[in-house]
Amino acid sequence: MHKATALLHHHSSSKEVSLEVIEQEKHFVAQFADGSHTQLPVDRLKEDPQNKQLGGSSRGLNVTDFDLLKTLGTGTFARVWLVRLKNPAEEDRDKFFALKVLRKVDVIKLKQVDHVNHERSVLADVAGYPFITTLITSFSDHDSLYMLLDYCPGGEVFTYLRKAKRFDETAARFYAAEIVVILEFLHEREGVAYRDLKPENLLLDADGHIKLVDFGFAKKIGNRETYTLCGTPEYLAPEVIQSKGHTTAVDWWALGILIYEFLTGYPPFWNQNPIEIYKQIVSKPVHFPDSPSISPEAKDIIRQFCTVNRSHRLGNMAGRAESVKAHPFFHGVNWDDVYYRKHRGPIIPPLRHKGDATCFDDYPDDKAHRDAYTHDLQRKWDNHFKDF
Amino acid sequence: MPPQTPSLSNIYTDAINSLTQEVLKEQPRDIIQYCANYFNKQLEIERTRSLYQSTISTAAMASSTFPGRMGTNANPFGSGLDSGSNIGITKVAEEDENDTITSPTTPSFGFKGNSTFGDFGGDGAGGPPSSWKAPSGDGFPAHYGMGRRTSVSAESLNPTASLNENWSPPFHQKTEDQLARLKRSISTNFLFSHLDDEQSNQVLGALVEKPIPAKGIKVITQGDQGDFFYVVEKGIFEVFKNNSGVLQPGADGLGMKVATIESGGSFGELALMYGAPRAATVVSTEASSTLWALDRITFRRILMDSTFQRRRLYESFLEEVPLLFTLDKYERSKVADALDTQKYPAGTTMIKEGDAGEAFYLLESGECEAYKAGKEEPVMYYKKGDYFGELALLNDAPRAASVISKTEVKVATLGKDGFQRLLGPVESIMRRTKYETGVEDIDPLTK
Ligand SMILES: Nc1ncnc2c1ncn2[C@@H]1O[C@H](COP(=O)(O)OP(=O)(O)O)[C@@H](O)[C@H]1O
Repeated sequence: MHKATALLHHHSSSKEVSLEVIEQEKHFVAQFADGSHTQLPVDRLKEDPQNKQLGGSSRGLNVTDFDLLKTLGTGTFARVWLVRLKNPAEEDRDKFFALKVLRKVDVIKLKQVDHVNHERSVLADVAGYPFITTLITSFSDHDSLYMLLDYCPGGEVFTYLRKAKRFDETAARFYAAEIVVILEFLHEREGVAYRDLKPENLLLDADGHIKLVDFGFAKKIGNRETYTLCGTPEYLAPEVIQSKGHTTAVDWWALGILIYEFLTGYPPFWNQNPIEIYKQIVSKPVHFPDSPSISPEAKDIIRQFCTVNRSHRLGNMAGRAESVKAHPFFHGVNWDDVYYRKHRGPIIPPLRHKGDATCFDDYPDDKAHRDAYTHDLQRKWDNHFKDF
Repeated sequence: MPPQTPSLSNIYTDAINSLTQEVLKEQPRDIIQYCANYFNKQLEIERTRSLYQSTISTAAMASSTFPGRMGTNANPFGSGLDSGSNIGITKVAEEDENDTITSPTTPSFGFKGNSTFGDFGGDGAGGPPSSWKAPSGDGFPAHYGMGRRTSVSAESLNPTASLNENWSPPFHQKTEDQLARLKRSISTNFLFSHLDDEQSNQVLGALVEKPIPAKGIKVITQGDQGDFFYVVEKGIFEVFKNNSGVLQPGADGLGMKVATIESGGSFGELALMYGAPRAATVVSTEASSTLWALDRITFRRILMDSTFQRRRLYESFLEEVPLLFTLDKYERSKVADALDTQKYPAGTTMIKEGDAGEAFYLLESGECEAYKAGKEEPVMYYKKGDYFGELALLNDAPRAASVISKTEVKVATLGKDGFQRLLGPVESIMRRTKYETGVEDIDPLTK
C-alpha cells in the first residue's frame, strides 16, 4: 500500500477490492501495531521506507475487519476504540490498535470538516515520528471516518496527574523536555501548530514516554498566522482569545500552562465560568501558590512561556526551541538522550499484556439517538472527505 | 511479596509458582512472551518497592489509589530502573469527600461585571466519565473541576483577501448618542478593549438594532447554542438559570433569577468566541425594549480581515528595506508580527537629531519630512510605504536628522531590542549582508 495509490479513494459501497489486497493490508498494518521506536535522527525520518508507507488511505480495509474491544476515550467529536484485527494471520495475532472514529454528521454539525482534514494530513506527514501517535492508515464508510493509530497502552498523563495530584519537578521536567522536542519538530521541521496541548492529549507508551495524540486542531501554517479559535479553555493563549491571529507561539504558551499544572495539580487560570478564565488569561500574571514550593527556574520558565506579548515569549524569539532547551529549568538535560529515549519515564504503566486497557477509564456507550448521514448530506459533503 | 528474606531457592520457587498460576489463569497465546512480560513486570515492581522503601517512607503511591484499575501488586508509578532516582510523584494527600466534580469547561455565560455569574455549573454533557473529586484546601481553586476537559472550537474562517472574495462588514447607521453609549458599553470588555480605531468603528457599525416588542420574550435560551452578543439599549432584562443546564418546560422551567441587566449592560459574549450552549435564559421585562446584536462570524471576520491585511502590508513593506534583504521569510514574518502600530498627530517630532537611535519606522499612512540642523528645507520626504531610522537597528550612532510628521501619521515601529530579541545578535545579521550598496545613501539620518 503506497501513498500514491492510496490517494485514489474508494467508498466502502463501491469498493471492490480483492480479498488478497485486504489480506496484504492487514499484514501491512500489523507491522505498526507498536508504533515507532525509530533510532533514526530526526532529519532522516523521512528516509525510512516504512515511514513513507504510513498514513495513506486504505484500499480495502473496513471497520468490519476489526474487533472493537473497548472505548479508550471520547473527545469532543470522536470516539477512540481499542481494536484487534479480525481473523489475523497467525503471526499478527497479538496486535492491537487504536481506531479513532468520527461520525460524518457530527463533523459537519460541529463545523470540523477542515479540522479533520488537517488532522489526517498532518498525521500522515509526521507518521513515524517517535513521540506522536502513528497514523497507520485511514478509511471511511457511509457514516464515518476512521483513523487507525498505533495503540498507546499507558493511558493519559492526565489520569496519572490527577491521581498523584501533582508531579515533582523531575517528572515535570522529563515530560516537558519530550514536549519541547516534539514542538521543535512540529514547528521548525513541519511548520505545524499543534494547538491543543494538555495532559489529556499526552499518552504514555509502555516505557513511560510521551505520545502526543489528537491532532484535531493541528494545522500546517508555515510562517503565517491563522485565525480559527480552537483549543481548550484553560490552555488558550491570549492572542487566540482576542482573535489577533495566532502562530506556533500558542503551543509555547500552553507548555507554560502545562508545566504549571504538572507542578501544582491545577492550571494557573481557572474559574467555573470560562469567560472569567479568558479575562484572567489576557490580563493577569501567573500567580504561584506558597505550597507546593516551586523552584525559581520552574517559575521563570512558566512566566516566560506565559508572556502575553508573543514577541517576548520564550520559544518564539531568536533561537526558537534552542533557546527553550537552554533555559535553566532544563539544566543538565541531554537533549540527544531525550530524542533517543535513553531513559525510561518516571511513570511506567502497569501493563500485563499487549492489549491491556486498564490504564484507560471506562466510557459509557454511545447515546442511542444519532443523527443520520442522509443522502442530501452525502451529496453535499462526501467530496470533502475524499482523503480518508 | 513476603517481607521476610527467604533463601534464594524460595524466591525462585515462589516466582515460578505464581507465574504458573498466572499462566493457568490467563491462558496466554504466546507463552514465552507472556513469561517475559511477567518477569519484567515483577522485576519492576520489586525494584520500585525497594526504591520507595529506601527513599520515601510515606508510601508515596499506595497502589490502592488506583482502585480497581491497576493490579493489586502493580505500582503505577514504578520508577524506571535506569532513571533510578526519578521518583516523579509527590505524596498523595487524602482527597476531600465533599466537593463533587464540576467541569470547568462546560458552557457558561458571560456577563459584564456580574460576579453572581461566576457559578455556572454545566450540564456535564461530554463530561468526564471518571468521578474525580476536587480536593479542597492545599491550594486547589475552589470548585476546581478535576475532570477531563473538552476542547472548544469556532467554525474555521479564512481571511477574505486570501479567498479573493469581497466582503465588507455590515453597516447600520446610528446616532452620535447611540454610538457614544455603545462605545462606553464595550470599551472595557476584554474582547473589545484591544481593538484599534478602525476595527472598533467597524464593530460599532456592525451592531444591529433588535427591537424587543413585548415583555416576557426570551432573547436567549439556556442550553441553546449561542451565536450573538447583545448590548442593552433600552429596557430591563432578567437572567434565569435552571440547575439542569437547560431551560425546562413549565412554570418553574426558567429556574432561578440570578441577575438583572439594564441599559448599557451586555450579555452573551462567549458567543463571540465560539458556539457554546447558553448558560442562562434572558427575558425582557418591558414592552418596547431594544437590544444591539452582533454575531460571531461578523465580529471575527472584522478582526481577522484587518489583521490579515495589516500583516501582509507590513511584510510587503519589509521586503523593500535593503537592510533587511537577507532576512528569510520566517524572520521577516517575525518582524512583521512584532511591529507596533502608533499614531501621531501632524507636527510631532518622531526622531530627534543627535539622539541615540533606538527604533525603526515604517510609514503606514500620512507623510513625514526629515530636517537637519541649520537647514531650512527638509532633506527628505516620506510617504506611505517608506521607512526611516532602520540603521538604529544596527548601531548606536546618533540620529543624523530629525523626522517630523507633516500630516497625521500611522507608523509601525520596532526597537533595536525587539529586533535582536527576535533575530539574534545584530552582528550576525550584518555579516550576512553585503550592503556595500551604501545604505547610508538611502538614509539621511546617518549623515
Ligand atoms: N493511539 C491511541 N492509543 C490509545 N488511546 C488513544 C489513542 N488515541 C486516542 N486515544 C484516547 O482517546 C482519547 C480521545 O482521542 P482524541 O484523539 O483526543 O479525540 P478527539 O479528537 O475527539 O478529542 C484520548 O484522549 C486518549 O485517551
